[in-house]
Parts: sequence; C-alpha cells; structure tokens
Amino acid sequence: MKKRLRIYWPFVNAGLQEVASYRVNWIFFMLGEALSCVVMYFIWSAVYHSGGGGVMNGFTMSQMIVYLVMIFLTRTLIDSDVSFTVGEEIRDGSIIMRMLKPVSYNATFLFHELGGKLPTTIALSGPMIIAVEIIRTVLDGTFQFSVGSLLLYIVSCVLAYLINFYFNICFGFAAFVIKYLWGANMMKNVLVGFFSGAVIPLSFLPEWLERVFLFLPFASLNYTPVMIYMGQYAGAEIVYFMGLQVFWVLFFCGLSKLLWKVSVKRLTVQGG
Amino acid sequence: MKTIRRMFRIHRIFLVQELKRMMEYKGDFVVGIIGFLLIQLSNLLFLWIIFSQIPDLEGWSISEIIFIYGLSLIPKGIDHFFFDNLWSIGYFIVRKGDFDKYLTRPVNTLFHVLVEKIQIDALGELIMGIVLVCSSVAGLQVEWDAFRIIGMILIIPFITLIFTGIKTITAAIAFWTKRSGNVIYMFYMFNDFAKYPATIYSRWVQNIITYIIPFALTSYFPALFILKGENPLFNLGMPVLASLVLMTAGILVWNKGLKAYESAGS
Amino acid sequence: MNTELKMITVDKLRKEFKKTVKEPGLKGSIKSLFRPKTEKVIAVQDISFEVGQGEILGFIGPNGAGKSTVIKMLTGILTPTAGSCTINGKNPTQNRRSYVKEIGVVFGQRTQLWWDLPLRETYSVLKEIYEVPEDSYKKRMDFLTEVLELDRFITSPVRTLSLGQRMRADIAASLLHSPKVLFLDEPTIGLDVVVKENIRRAIEHINRQEQTTVILTTHDLADIEQLSKRIVMIDKGVKVFDGTIASLKQQYGQIREMSFEADSPKAAAVLNYAEHFGLSEDNFSVEAEGKSVKVRFNSAAVPVSEMLSYTLGKISVSDISVKDADIEEIIRRLYEQGVEE
Repeated sequence: MKKRLRIYWPFVNAGLQEVASYRVNWIFFMLGEALSCVVMYFIWSAVYHSGGGGVMNGFTMSQMIVYLVMIFLTRTLIDSDVSFTVGEEIRDGSIIMRMLKPVSYNATFLFHELGGKLPTTIALSGPMIIAVEIIRTVLDGTFQFSVGSLLLYIVSCVLAYLINFYFNICFGFAAFVIKYLWGANMMKNVLVGFFSGAVIPLSFLPEWLERVFLFLPFASLNYTPVMIYMGQYAGAEIVYFMGLQVFWVLFFCGLSKLLWKVSVKRLTVQGG
Repeated sequence: MKTIRRMFRIHRIFLVQELKRMMEYKGDFVVGIIGFLLIQLSNLLFLWIIFSQIPDLEGWSISEIIFIYGLSLIPKGIDHFFFDNLWSIGYFIVRKGDFDKYLTRPVNTLFHVLVEKIQIDALGELIMGIVLVCSSVAGLQVEWDAFRIIGMILIIPFITLIFTGIKTITAAIAFWTKRSGNVIYMFYMFNDFAKYPATIYSRWVQNIITYIIPFALTSYFPALFILKGENPLFNLGMPVLASLVLMTAGILVWNKGLKAYESAGS
Repeated sequence: MNTELKMITVDKLRKEFKKTVKEPGLKGSIKSLFRPKTEKVIAVQDISFEVGQGEILGFIGPNGAGKSTVIKMLTGILTPTAGSCTINGKNPTQNRRSYVKEIGVVFGQRTQLWWDLPLRETYSVLKEIYEVPEDSYKKRMDFLTEVLELDRFITSPVRTLSLGQRMRADIAASLLHSPKVLFLDEPTIGLDVVVKENIRRAIEHINRQEQTTVILTTHDLADIEQLSKRIVMIDKGVKVFDGTIASLKQQYGQIREMSFEADSPKAAAVLNYAEHFGLSEDNFSVEAEGKSVKVRFNSAAVPVSEMLSYTLGKISVSDISVKDADIEEIIRRLYEQGVEE
C-alpha cells in the first residue's frame, strides 16, 4: 500500500507546485469568490428583516449565515476541475500519454488534484471553522461546536469530493461525443450549483422538489456535509444521507471505470 | 475626425471577421449562450423562491427588484459582448509574450485589443436583461415619459463603460505583473452587488460600490431615477462622470503599463 | 544593391532589465509583494552596427545572447535604456504607429494569422489595419501569392495549414504593406529541408526584386550562408563580430580539420603535436576516439603540409583527410569561446 502510494507522490507534488507558484493569484481569486457570499449575506439579512425574523424553512438568520459560510468552504474543498482536464486531453489526444503510464488513469488525476488541494484546505478550513463558531456564539449566545459533527463533516466532505471527482471524470469523457465542452461544463456547474443547495438551501424548495433533489447525487456534494456540520440531521438521517453518499461514490467510480474501458476501446479502434 | 472614422471602419472589419468565425463554431456559441442564460435563470429562481416567502424586500417590490436586476445585466452583457478580450490580456496574452503582435501594428493597442474579439455568450446575459426589464414594466407604477425613456437609453453606453474601465485598469496591471486575470476577476465580481437595491447593504458597502468600485452606478442609481424619478442630476450624472473617470484612468494606466511592458523571452 | 544608403543605424544600443529577486518561502513572497528586491540585468550592452538598403543581414548569437531583445528594440516593442536606433530616418519608439508601417515582422514561433478563418481573411483585415489601397492590395496579393506559392491553401482555415505553409503565409502577411525593412526571427524553425529551401528562395526573390532590407536571426547557419553576405554576431549582449562571411572565414577560417584512422589506439598516443610544433590551445585541439583521430589546427601557425608529413612520418594511418572548417564550425568555436575581451 505504502509503495503504491509512493508511485503517486510525483502527481501530488506537481499539483502542490502549481498552486504554490500562483499563490497571489489564488488569493485574489478567493476574494472574488467570497464577494458573492457577502452579497448573499446582505440579501438574507434583508429577507429575514422583511419576513419579520424568526425561523424560515428550518433556518434562523444566524443559521443562514453559518450555512452560507459552510457552503462556501465546502464548495471550495470538494471542487474538481477534472472534467475540463479530461476533456482537453481527449480533444488533443494527450490522453494516450496517460494510457502508457503504468499507473491507474483516474488515480493520476486524483493525486494531482489532491496535491493542489492540500494548501487550500490548510489555509481555509481552520480559519473558516473558527469564524463560523465565533459567529454562532456571538449571534446565538451559546457555544455550539461539536467535535462529533466536525469529524462527521470531514468524512462527509471526503465522500462528497470523491463523488464530485468521479462524476467529473464521467462528464469529461463526454468530450468523446460532445464537442462544446466549455459551454457544457458551464451549464453543468450552474445546474450542479442549484441542485446541490449552493444557491439556496434545499428546504426552501417545494416539498416534492426537495425530495427529488435530496435523492439526486448533487445534494450529496454540498448540502449533506453542511447540514451534518450544522447539526440539522439527527442520528438516523445522518446514517441515511452518508449511506447515500457512499452509494453515489461507488456508482460514479464504477461508471467512470466503465467509460474508461469503452474509451480505450474507441481510442485503439480509431487510432486516436 | 479621420481617426474616428478609421476606428469605426476597423471595428466593423473585426466584427465581420468574428461573425464569420462564429459561423464555423455555431454549436459552441449556442451552448455558451444557453449556459449564461441558465446562470441567470438559477438566480431568478432564487429570487422567486425568496419572494414566495416575503411580501417585499426592504420596501422593494418584486417588480422593482427584477427591474434593477435586469438593468444590471444590460451593461454587463454589452461589455461582455464587445470587450471580453481584456480578460485574455490579464490571463495569458501578456504572460505568453503574445502582446508583441499589437505593438507591431499601426493601431492603438488598447483599441486593437478591445475590438479584436466579441463574445457571443454574452447574449445570454443581454437577452435576459432586456426580457427582465420589459417584463417588470407591467408590475411597476411608473409613468413612462420621454425624459425617462431617453435617459434610460442614453445612460446605457456610460454604465457599460464603467465595466470596461474597471476591466481595463485591472487588465493593464498584467504589464507589470505578467498576469492579472484574477485581479480583474476580484474587482469584476463586485458587479454582483449591482443586482440588488443598494439600500439592503450596510453603509460602508454602499460607499464602496458608489464611490470606489462604483457598480451601484450601473443599475441601482439609474433605476432610482427611472422608477421613482428621484434626483436625475445625481442618479444619471454620477454614472456618466464615473464612466468618464474610469475610462480615462484605464487609458492612462494602460499607457503607463505599455512603457513598463517587457515582453517575454530573452 | 545600394549599400551606400544606410537603412538602419544602431548606435550604442543598451537594454537593462530589472529582475525581481524572490526570497524563498511564503514570507519571502509576501515581502516581495510589498517591497520587491530588484537586480539589474544588462541584456544588451552598447551595440552599434549599420545595415545598408537592400542588404540581408544575418544576426546571430547563442541562446540568451540578447538577439530577441535587440530585434524587439528595433521593432519598437521594447524601449531602449540608452543609445538609439534609426530605421529609415525614424525612431521606433517615437510615433510607433507610423513607424511600424515601414517594417514587417515575422516571429517564427508565433503567428499573426487569424487562426479559425480562411487565410485570405487575414490579408483582408491586415489591408485595413495597414490602410493598403484597394488596387495596390490586388497587385501585392498577386505578387505574394506567386512568390510564396499561397494559392494552394489561401482558402483553407489557418489552423489546418502545415508549419511550412503557415510560415509562408506569415511572411506574406508581414509584406502586405510593402515594408522597407523586414525582420525575420527564426523563419525556418522546425521546417524540413525542402521547405526551408523554398522559404529561402522566396526571401531572396523578394529582397532582389524590391530592395527590401532584411534582418534575419536564425540558428540554422545554412539560412545565413545562402541569404546574407554579412553577419553581426552577439554574445552575452555584446557584439563579437561584424563583417562579411568571407572575412569571418578569413579571420577565423584558417582552421583546418585533419582526420585519420590510426592502426591502433596506442599508436595514436605517440603523436604529440602541441610539443612538436609548440602550439597553444587557441590554435589547436585534438579529439581521439579509439582509432579515429580528429585534429583541428590553425593553418597560419602550422602549414598543412608539415602537419601531414609529421603525422605520416610517426605512424601509419589509413583514410587521412584535411578539410576547411565550415562556417558552422567557426561559429560553434566562437560561441564556445565566448567573449574574451
């Protein structure tokens, strides 16, 4: 196992190096991303103010703030660019180079991306979790941090990332059939954003729609980890939703392997 | 006068080339337009869900909110349509040394960069903006006099230049740092604030988006005049002033950047 | 050719860059963000030369010598730190827009063609940009199409052209406005021998027909040998040679290369040229690989005949030959020696 991991260390390292060289750029990018979070905060304040305060669809104002911050953190942590990379490699044919390497195709991407994620995760997670706890304590007057929720959140995030990663691998393979990858990628991001609760908590949707969305793989990406951290799910619900996450990981992992086999066949038959 | 005629002529030539290019990649562009439409639709769905919970937002009716939201998309869409190439300056043209090309041509570099490409995806925003403004009219209690209509049409080029000016200033930073794409991004993202009435923000945020990175001037303030007939001197005058100041600053920073520009390679 | 008339005058041209020195680690990059430490790098050091009208000048030097920097100053892309260059009486950095109408530039590694459109479209846009009148545009296109053989692919999208076709198309693009000076930076890079030959012939043709002054930088010395009579060579930002190829050969070309096969590796060890003729390292080098031996020597220091008789007198050899060092060899030696002034 240790030896197998060592094969992938160069990929982790390459990802790390890339991020390190664009540090200043990354900070500006994150600030830009955070701005929409700030706008959302003001809108929700206005909404709660206009709605007379209190609880809306299971969220108090302070919980809504926590939700916004945690969604921002979770989205960043589980983000995956791999569909674009795969698509580009298919388009320019360099995917063949990866086929020649004696390592798993998916794994090379996974470790490369994880390398890039390491600094992000370290730089963002701690401060943002602390910020959330300070906000909650000040607004509600009680200290609500729970180590259990944090641990469950971490596990749930790892599962969410794996779902996202394999889902994006599958989507990237679509480049074999879809020509317009850039536009399609953008559409995917919008839809995934909405379905995963990044735009609005799913509990604000009509009940039937909420049920459908909760079952779809997208809720497993952002909504489930955040709801778990916020303690919105009780025992049985946690087991159910994390079980669902595991199911979707296996589903997309299997699908990506299947697509990979089909693609290899196509490549070898068509000669690239 | 002769230079202005020449600029229009070159702009037209570039536009025609871009339209020809688009014909080669029709599918890509349709998908791109739909993509940007979807982004806006998802935000609208958000607004619609919110308004199903509350009667008004800090005194603003849903029609008014939709008008402001729609109006903010129009200058954004126009700038995105015509002047999207500035992003490439920030992300890769300077870094890869491809800026040399512009310097060997007998055309003003900023002008050349601005008009060289168009971004058809922007129609997603532009169409949505126009549809929203038009559809909000039914729910608004506004007397549409000539003053309002002409004011609204005339202000659009200026509020577009607020976008272009901010992008020009931040893109030109790349002449010193080689890459400024994410700096453009950060400042550009302030336009998110323009979609909603500025009164929902705190005092200091309002000051920033009015006087420093003045995206509130691209939608909220003109809308104040159009919807409520308030203070045309400030509500229309400030956007005009800001656009001129920003565009002038953009040209100055750009020209200063040209002097600092050291093309890639040895 | 009228070399009396100076087209380009470069006078003590100098370019210094400020290079930011980054200290390692996060602390270093934050520091460099606010108070960057800079270091002065002299890329071009007081270079002067002249080019006559209608001349093709080969501008050469090893990688990183400062060739591109000089070309970029001459084309108005970079502003010199000191010194001046005048091209057809104009200064590139003053009134850039009117200046660039007099020059054509081809960077072999980049293209100025419209990637997604048929090649013809690029020319119709450049026509507007350079304000070429309709009737002279037609004549010009006919001429360029013929010389550069564009007709086979002028209606194809640029992205589908081969590298050689693209280069020909790029040269045509740079000549559309009939510039007086043409800058060619690596015009044959990555091309095969036949295509290279085509391009050289076209450049020669245009130069002869239109008296276009050409500045040519290249790593392929065959380009230089065929096209230019004169070369300027720079190294580490300093001019190290300026003259005709003939004079280069005369100055450095006394070098001869004698090669032969000895009976055995041991036999070759008997030879000691340096001691026998009292040669210094500048005039002499020897390379032995097993039985085959290569001796490079300055024929001004030791006549070829003496070299031969000494060798043949000491050992028995097969396959002995002596040849002139070609220009490539001379320049290789110059590059290796570097500047020693």
